[in-house]
Amino acid sequence: MAKSKNWGWYALFVLPLLLIFVTVVIVPFLIGIFYSFFDWDGIRANPMVFVGIENYLKLLDDARFIDSAWITIKFTILAVISVNIVGLTFALLVTSKLRTANLARTFVFMPYLIGGLLLGYIWQFVFTDVFAMVGEITGFDSIFFNWLMHPDYALYALVIVFTWQMAGYIMIIYIAGIQSIPGEVIEASKIDGANLWQRIRKIVFPLLMPSFTISLFLTLSFAFKIYDTNLSLTGGGPANATELFAMNIYNEIFGYANYGYGQAKAIIFFLIIAIISLTQVYMTKKREVQM
Amino acid sequence: MKRSKKLLISLITIGLLIVLAACGSNDDNNSEGSNGDSDGKKITIFQSKVEISDALEELAKEYEEETGVEVEVWGTTGDDYFQQLQIRLNSDQGPSIFSLQHVKEAERVESYVYDLSNEDYVGNIAPNMELKLEDKIVGIPYGVEGFGLVYNKDLVSTEDVKDLDSFVSTLEKLDGEGINGLGLSQEAYFLIGHISNYPFSLQDDHFDFIDRLTAGEVTMAETAEFQEFGKFFEAIKEYAVNPLEVNYDKEVGDFAAGKSAMIHQGNWAYGLLADFDFDFEVGMLPFPLNGNDKLAVGVGNNWAINGTKDEAEINAARDFLEWLHTSETGKRYIVEDFGFVPAMTNIEATELDPLSQAVLEASNSGETIPWAQNYYPANVVTNDFTPAAQDFFLNEDMTGQEFIENLDKAWQNAVK
Repeated sequence: MAKSKNWGWYALFVLPLLLIFVTVVIVPFLIGIFYSFFDWDGIRANPMVFVGIENYLKLLDDARFIDSAWITIKFTILAVISVNIVGLTFALLVTSKLRTANLARTFVFMPYLIGGLLLGYIWQFVFTDVFAMVGEITGFDSIFFNWLMHPDYALYALVIVFTWQMAGYIMIIYIAGIQSIPGEVIEASKIDGANLWQRIRKIVFPLLMPSFTISLFLTLSFAFKIYDTNLSLTGGGPANATELFAMNIYNEIFGYANYGYGQAKAIIFFLIIAIISLTQVYMTKKREVQM
Repeated sequence: MKRSKKLLISLITIGLLIVLAACGSNDDNNSEGSNGDSDGKKITIFQSKVEISDALEELAKEYEEETGVEVEVWGTTGDDYFQQLQIRLNSDQGPSIFSLQHVKEAERVESYVYDLSNEDYVGNIAPNMELKLEDKIVGIPYGVEGFGLVYNKDLVSTEDVKDLDSFVSTLEKLDGEGINGLGLSQEAYFLIGHISNYPFSLQDDHFDFIDRLTAGEVTMAETAEFQEFGKFFEAIKEYAVNPLEVNYDKEVGDFAAGKSAMIHQGNWAYGLLADFDFDFEVGMLPFPLNGNDKLAVGVGNNWAINGTKDEAEINAARDFLEWLHTSETGKRYIVEDFGFVPAMTNIEATELDPLSQAVLEASNSGETIPWAQNYYPANVVTNDFTPAAQDFFLNEDMTGQEFIENLDKAWQNAVK
């Protein structure tokens, strides 16, 4: 009796969620796979021609797609490193006995509350106008020039903006992790004569492993999927030097009107994200320390 | 444990069934080919020209007062208009009236466009300005537009830009005086889109040339007009401000401030120019490629009707377009509030700004070259030409000829 009552509760909570998940994730995903086997321009009234796996084969010698993949990987690696270093540093700072800790916490978190599109436009102004001005005034025009006009620096600019946006969010996760470390452990290590670096390395980091898992996972998938900041900051330019994965797919579908081919790219995109994320979670999970 | 698995599976099954059922019933609707019934009392407009949005809404109010038919104007973002239109049409939430830029867009939404050939007022459209799809008129031009070198009469005279040599020496001279000779800007059409028309438009038959280019029978690199076009671009790179650093606002602003002597723009730019204070006379000159002395005049936007709506709504939409192009109120809006140079012979234009006046005069006298861009492969300007042009302006060593070769590659990429 009691058991069947439980099932009713389960159903009440799970069913709506499941329904939503199925309609907005599972079904579109399956339809997406279906479309990727067709040559189609995305207009429903126009014919869809079945081409089998040709779309996937075409990917192999699509130079622009492969370039875009490399750029995305480069961006992701840089972004994951910089977001986590900055986030962790701020987390350690604001959990120390800094007097302005609360204020600093708010400030660092604030960019996350601004949308990526808006951030992109704000920083576009910074890189284009402010940088050029600073370069003119100070004479350091080898550093301060319009970064968005240089194929490599435009990507670094994107990394900076992404870090600016995400570091605060990641910081909160690290703060939660740091605060959950019991004070007595730290105190005991102090009594044993461990210095700050030893405390951080031997006690804080191992106990922070769950936070590392979450943070790396989040930044990795966010960086890989980034579109909004990419669009507003560089628009993929100059000369497609910062066209990341998501933008490449969008351009294929809506720019070139190759709906089926774009879908094939999107499926590959999904597989890559899934593989990277799963491996990463698996690897970090193994190193977690149980209290 | 077993029970929970069973439950999960049955839940998923139920979920999928519901979804499939929903999809199924949706499909039924489509096969009936209706978008829901309407009594023709309300039409919706979705169009891409941001500049006329406000005026269009006022017009809609006046139309409703006059006829009782409600006209709903949807907001537009400009840049991604066609994608938005496509999404809405696909989800059966399309507008009754939409806008199309050119025949390539019309081809893509061919199954949606309504045949306007039998409307009375299409006879008033200026020759060759209607949007045609296989002899059917599917689009009514907004108005004619033209572009060329918008110039500051204090700094440049007609004699200064009549061919490549004079153009280059003018740019060089102005550069020496600290004035930007020719301003372009980073936006796809202002960077390369419009200006790329000239070498195409100057061909004897640009339709034929584009077809042969697509088929690979000719290349731009071996065509004289394009080779000279490359030289023009070399001069622009050498003597003018890098256009990638400049946006539309700054381009026009610098021109108004006298920092640029010429900008490559169309008559539409006068609206923005008028927002700045400037105290010199402006005019529009032809771009002197191969000694060309004609402005490029064409149609940038066309009204089209969604033929998949039910009959009452289609008729209401037809009535609206007819009213817009024949009634006094409609005509007044087209000229005064939208600021178009009319493409209809029955609409008189008075008190045009100097740039529009130049376009109208050119259009009336027939001394124009066509807009080849209306026959470009879809989206080639934003997708392929722009990266090539950015590459050219970023890469100091790239020659004009290499740039044209890259345009060839870009073209082939767009048509493959």
